[in-house]
Amino acid sequence: MKISYRQMSVLILLAFITLKFSALPSLMYTVSGNMSWLTALMLMIIDSIYVFIIVGLMKKSGEKNVYEFMTACLGRFLTRVILFILILKYALVVANVSKGMEIFVIENLYSEFHWLIFSIPLVILVAFMVYKGIRNIGRVGELVYIPVILGCVYIMIKAFSGVHLQSAFLPMFEYGARPIFDSAFKYVSWFGSGTFLLMLFGKVDFSDKKKFTIFNHLFFAILLVQLMYLIFYGLFQITSPTHAFCLSDISQFSGGDSSISELSWLVVSLWIVAQTVQLALYSFALTKAIKYMFNIKNDIVPILLVLVFIFTWSYLGKITVRLEEIFYNPISSIITISGAYIVPIIICLGYLVHNRKVKKQKLRVNGDEKVKNNI
Amino acid sequence: MKVNAVETFKIIQEKLHNSKDLKSRVVQFFGTELKICYIAEITDNELLTNGLIYPICSYVGQKNKDVYSTLKNAISTIETVDCDSIDEAITLLLSGKTLVLVNKADKILACDVEKITVRAVSEPPTSVVIKGPREGFTESLKFNLALIRKRLKTEDLVVNMFEVGEITKTQIGVVYIDSVVDKSVLKMVLKRLKEIKIDGVLDSHYLVSYLQNKPKSLFKQVGDTEKPDILVGKMLEGRIGILVDGSPIVLTVPFILIEDLQNSDDYYSQPIRVGFIRVLRFIGVIMAVLLPGVYVALERYHYKILPTEFLVTIMNTTQGIPFAPFIEVLFVILLFEILYEANLRMPQYFGMAMSIVGALILGDTAISAGLVSPPTVMIVALSGIIFYIIPSQAAQFSILRLVAVVIGACIGLYGILLFCLFVLSYLSSFDSYKSAYLAPTAPYIASDQEDTFVRKTIKEMKTRPKSIANNRKNRVRRGKDED
Repeated sequence: MKISYRQMSVLILLAFITLKFSALPSLMYTVSGNMSWLTALMLMIIDSIYVFIIVGLMKKSGEKNVYEFMTACLGRFLTRVILFILILKYALVVANVSKGMEIFVIENLYSEFHWLIFSIPLVILVAFMVYKGIRNIGRVGELVYIPVILGCVYIMIKAFSGVHLQSAFLPMFEYGARPIFDSAFKYVSWFGSGTFLLMLFGKVDFSDKKKFTIFNHLFFAILLVQLMYLIFYGLFQITSPTHAFCLSDISQFSGGDSSISELSWLVVSLWIVAQTVQLALYSFALTKAIKYMFNIKNDIVPILLVLVFIFTWSYLGKITVRLEEIFYNPISSIITISGAYIVPIIICLGYLVHNRKVKKQKLRVNGDEKVKNNI
Repeated sequence: MKVNAVETFKIIQEKLHNSKDLKSRVVQFFGTELKICYIAEITDNELLTNGLIYPICSYVGQKNKDVYSTLKNAISTIETVDCDSIDEAITLLLSGKTLVLVNKADKILACDVEKITVRAVSEPPTSVVIKGPREGFTESLKFNLALIRKRLKTEDLVVNMFEVGEITKTQIGVVYIDSVVDKSVLKMVLKRLKEIKIDGVLDSHYLVSYLQNKPKSLFKQVGDTEKPDILVGKMLEGRIGILVDGSPIVLTVPFILIEDLQNSDDYYSQPIRVGFIRVLRFIGVIMAVLLPGVYVALERYHYKILPTEFLVTIMNTTQGIPFAPFIEVLFVILLFEILYEANLRMPQYFGMAMSIVGALILGDTAISAGLVSPPTVMIVALSGIIFYIIPSQAAQFSILRLVAVVIGACIGLYGILLFCLFVLSYLSSFDSYKSAYLAPTAPYIASDQEDTFVRKTIKEMKTRPKSIANNRKNRVRRGKDED
């Protein structure tokens, strides 16, 4: 069951924008102020480069899945180590998305909401989507991404009249460039968005490939995030840290009054849909990583493990105070940097070394044959 | 097999349990006694007399080497079949053929003097059109095939015929355009049809569960039509038609969801208008399924979303209603469904009066009595009417609407969103004979967008849809054969 090149690009776009429009802009403001958009821009450009690296590797892998590819290039031990790191990275994203979604849903839609009512339907839906496979997630992504983007654009247009553009940009580098890097390190867990692609090796049909499809989607994602951040910081200025939900707060406070208009609710609803697709996507990646790591033959056991994880996470979120801090401590940053930025490089280097060896071997065999023929 | 006219007739009589409608006549032909047996009710008496008996009795030609072959010459104006066994002859007898038993012959001659009772061609009630052909299929397979042949004058039109049903032995016709149809899909369809083990097939819908990939699913996976122009249009795109004798409804596979958003009218109207109508249909479907559920969720959990003036209006109208919004909506939905069901089966002259009583008097009385609120009645009635924007999916959508209401009452808007996503995800996992159920939207097929929400002019639609597996890319061959 393969997904099309376009579906992969759509999933990349959704992965790039989904986590960025909830709590991140308000959190980043506390470290890098109105320069946070530069932090996001820098990390998203790095993420985009990694997307191209991983897609390049994906093409080289042919029909092999990531486990087969890595084992061939790096050996079993290193493959297991990498899978372990990836499991941590994916688990972090799954936890982050589900937590963000829970807060988003409860704060925006309900005055009182039991965590079980949030978790049970979500877990059932995610289980279904993951069980049906990446083709299913790809198709759903294709169905929802245009309404989601149109919704975001609508919110931005609606809010634009109230934006104080000067405040969004100035003063620049008031405390130098250091806050940008500090915030990049602290909130890196929200980035590394293309890592899920590692679990799509052998699952993408490149036959319908068109030029610039990925580039266009990435460019659009970066543009959308940047515009949203500029509007957020231009709208709320120094009060930005008090606005925990970028998308819903922009729609809520942009119209002059403090009530969300009816159409904005539609956008908020669409956002929940986009987050669910993102959750299913990373749950799929986590399921595959667990499957390869422990050499499990069927999909049911890893899916169950992932679901138990989401469920437990929701429960822990209820009994632990400020559990979300787990996303911006150094350990989670190190996990993300390792999983999203070091692992693809290791795989890439492994592939190059392996490829060179194979070429040398071929040359040697050809040379031997020539010698034989001459004799 | 050596035929003895009297003995063979006796055997046939015994096999048919001495059924009283089995009749026989005896005629002499070149000194040999011929026994003609037939079932009176399904035999054309005039044709039997003038087309079979009269030519036999008045034959003046030479006698061939045997009586049997001479007999065939004598009645050459009617279609005949040679039967090698009594069982084969009985099967044909039961399907309206008349048997001629010739003493000492090796075979039994079956003659086609079947009485064809055909309802006049009329506009099907399920697909009424403003513009375009009004012809509809009838219950006769032969007649329906003629309606298809009339529109497809090509040597590529293939009709595969076989029988299904151990007792009914119903004739099934599989029609397709050989140069267009995808052979693997055709093989799959024929295999499934030939594997059917059933005692009887009374309508084409008996075959649906055998043709579906997920027979227990709520969603329709096999298309159906009552109009030859629609069927031919679908066949031109690579689909296969399945006709059943006795049914005016022809099944088509592969089936994708977008087909139900399209209407035969669309192809006879202005493209801009069609685009507008199709978007309306799409919005209508979403409204019909979700409106009551969203209303319940808004009233129960998210009343803050509603504009203040609207909220005040709702509060004023719902004041004093003894039931919770969920019970209220559920009650009106059930009432609506019951009225619909009753109205459907009532005699026509009675139905009109009853619908007035049901819709106007019952609804008005329920509101005046304070049992239900006007917004509830309005929303449920609106949703109920909108269903019929796509009548072929109304049954499925009404179930989804009920589920959305229950979820809206239990979890609110969040639940409805997840429900929508679940339905989308479920439908995305469907494949109908190599065609994705939600194609050409998911997976997105750029070239097929010319006949999705926006329809291009017929002149511009030069390629067949890729959403449906087919064998020929271009609708019209250009230059050298490109396919």
